[in-house]
Amino acid sequence: MTQYFIRRLLLIIPTFIGITILVFVITRFVPGGPIEQMIAEAQQASQQTGGGLNGAGIGASTLDAEQIRELEIYYGFDKPVLVSYWQWLSKVVQFDLGVSSRYSEPVWDTIKERLPISAFYGITTMLITYFISIPLGYWKAIKHNSHFDHVSSIVVFVGYAIPAYVVGIILLVIFASNLEWFPMGGFYSEDFEDLETPWEQAVDVFYHAVLPLMAYVAGSFAVMTFMMKNALMDNLAAEYVRTAIAKGIPFNQAVKHHALRNSLIPIATHFGNNISVIIGGSFLIEKIFNIDGLGLLGYESIVERDYPIVLGVLVISAILQLFGNILSDICVAVVDPRVQFR
Amino acid sequence: MHFQLNPLTQKKIQRFKSIRRGYYSFILFTLIVLLSCFAEILVNSRALLVHYEGSWHFPTYGAVIPGKVFGLDYSYETNYRELEKHFNNDSKNFIIMPPIPFNAYENDLKTSAFPPFPPSFKDSHYLGTDTIGRDVAARLIYGFRTAIFFSLILLVVSYLVGVSIGAAMGYFGGLFDLLFQRIIEIWSNIPFLYVIMIVSSIMIPNFLTLIAIILLFGWIQLTWYMRTVTYKEKAREYVMAAKALGASHSRVIFYHILPNTISIIITFIPFSLASGIIALTSLDFLGFGLPAPTPSWGELLSQGSNNLESLWIVSSVIVSMTVILVMVAFIGEAIREAFDPKQHTTYE
Repeated sequence: MTQYFIRRLLLIIPTFIGITILVFVITRFVPGGPIEQMIAEAQQASQQTGGGLNGAGIGASTLDAEQIRELEIYYGFDKPVLVSYWQWLSKVVQFDLGVSSRYSEPVWDTIKERLPISAFYGITTMLITYFISIPLGYWKAIKHNSHFDHVSSIVVFVGYAIPAYVVGIILLVIFASNLEWFPMGGFYSEDFEDLETPWEQAVDVFYHAVLPLMAYVAGSFAVMTFMMKNALMDNLAAEYVRTAIAKGIPFNQAVKHHALRNSLIPIATHFGNNISVIIGGSFLIEKIFNIDGLGLLGYESIVERDYPIVLGVLVISAILQLFGNILSDICVAVVDPRVQFR
Repeated sequence: MHFQLNPLTQKKIQRFKSIRRGYYSFILFTLIVLLSCFAEILVNSRALLVHYEGSWHFPTYGAVIPGKVFGLDYSYETNYRELEKHFNNDSKNFIIMPPIPFNAYENDLKTSAFPPFPPSFKDSHYLGTDTIGRDVAARLIYGFRTAIFFSLILLVVSYLVGVSIGAAMGYFGGLFDLLFQRIIEIWSNIPFLYVIMIVSSIMIPNFLTLIAIILLFGWIQLTWYMRTVTYKEKAREYVMAAKALGASHSRVIFYHILPNTISIIITFIPFSLASGIIALTSLDFLGFGLPAPTPSWGELLSQGSNNLESLWIVSSVIVSMTVILVMVAFIGEAIREAFDPKQHTTYE
């Protein structure tokens, strides 16, 4: 088992290289990359102040050939793709993701600032989803084909069919724009720093988080509820539950002690996938609610052609996803002793 | 060619019909898709029929008819809404306009106010106009047509790729299988939407290139599934029997293995259809989809959510999206239930 997981961990390396080399190559064949952006910007700047932008050596009115060449060296555009990929990779290994071409700040610092915000939403969403899906799936399985089952199915179905960000827009229209119960977006209020106690600050964060969290949960609870329900129903139909009931164990106990525990296995498998869903789906929700998280950072950096950040966000989300997959396998191995990975 | 469904398939179709929610959704959905093919008749700035000076004109399809033909003083395309007003006090000539007399691109502006205009029956803008004065209902309907055909074409292409690579992986195994396994492992760990956004920010995509881009990153799911299924089927006796009789590889794959896997492939179709619509809408919403001014749901959605005070934009697109996607989900559920019946024991 340990051997298996060590092998899986080692396999992360080629996969990671595969993903990043693909995107790296794509970003290299781009019109309107950082240098062209900077030329345009320098032209603008020269009309206003004539000031320098960053350490890349821009000062004069427009960029001459010499300066463009300097910029190309600075961004590694003067070398073949694979050579500059290798340079980039060897820096990444030392946790140096380069410098953002827009903010001229280290990419790693920018990401470090945004990551906790996305993580807050991700983890809270996951907790709420488990908290809703497991009991709901449980009751739907026990009361299969009842009135409760049918009515709750409709809710689950709509949640399944509509993408999470559309739910976000619906919530925004109803609760923020019309009823004005909740703020339109942001992670906290403008006067957050002035709030006196940590308690008030926490309340403020959660007050802003209500709608985005509802949108996130709407996107993930449906699949989980169905999974829980189906797993429990499969187990209820299994021989061992019939045996338990035949032996005279009360139905409730047979479910709780036998069927339920086995039904949690697929839920555990899903654990790691959740990480990637939260990272992947977050562009849209973060954009709608204007939350300064990793997703919005990634989106803005694509729009602004800030490739160091684009690649940085990719690195972080790819690593999270790769580790998430392994983590979910470990979870499965922990909850189900029958599973043997080889 | 004589074509007859085998009894097992007939039974499945029977079972599908008995799941009413899914069956009616299926009929309604098919009807909507068929109607959308003829959207030009329902939603158009061109008239359906013009009777002028004893001659009949059907301007909907075909070449532009200049205004001079109808006795107007210009030679560019006739403005049929104006022509309708012009004909009103005329008993001999008449004109029939479509129910929604606007196309998806024209700006219907007023001199007295700025768009967006709220829904109004008087102006025939039943769902209002968007921020630059285009009819929301027209853009919604043409946007649906774009989305559904985008999704259908994407579905066909990605199933062709997925089924053939998956079947080949499962059937031939060996080095080919190993190679594609590694590729799939890399591919499945790529943040899908993010990379598509990067690619389509580089090359402004049109309808076909956008399909190609999504296909590039969206073929793996079915491939993986097909591989497993083919792998299982290959080990069964009938394949061995076919081989023993001297059947070629392609005969075994296309005549023996594929028909046995097709019923499982069908259960995936509605879900792929929905995810194709969602993918296009999300990309359009973020501004990385089809170029403006293509009518699209994502573009309406982003306009609506930026102009929440013009509630008619966002609510009409959300309602239509919900209806369509829930319908597709119902169909998917029914097909799955019909093709893969799992009987559950329940305790009283």
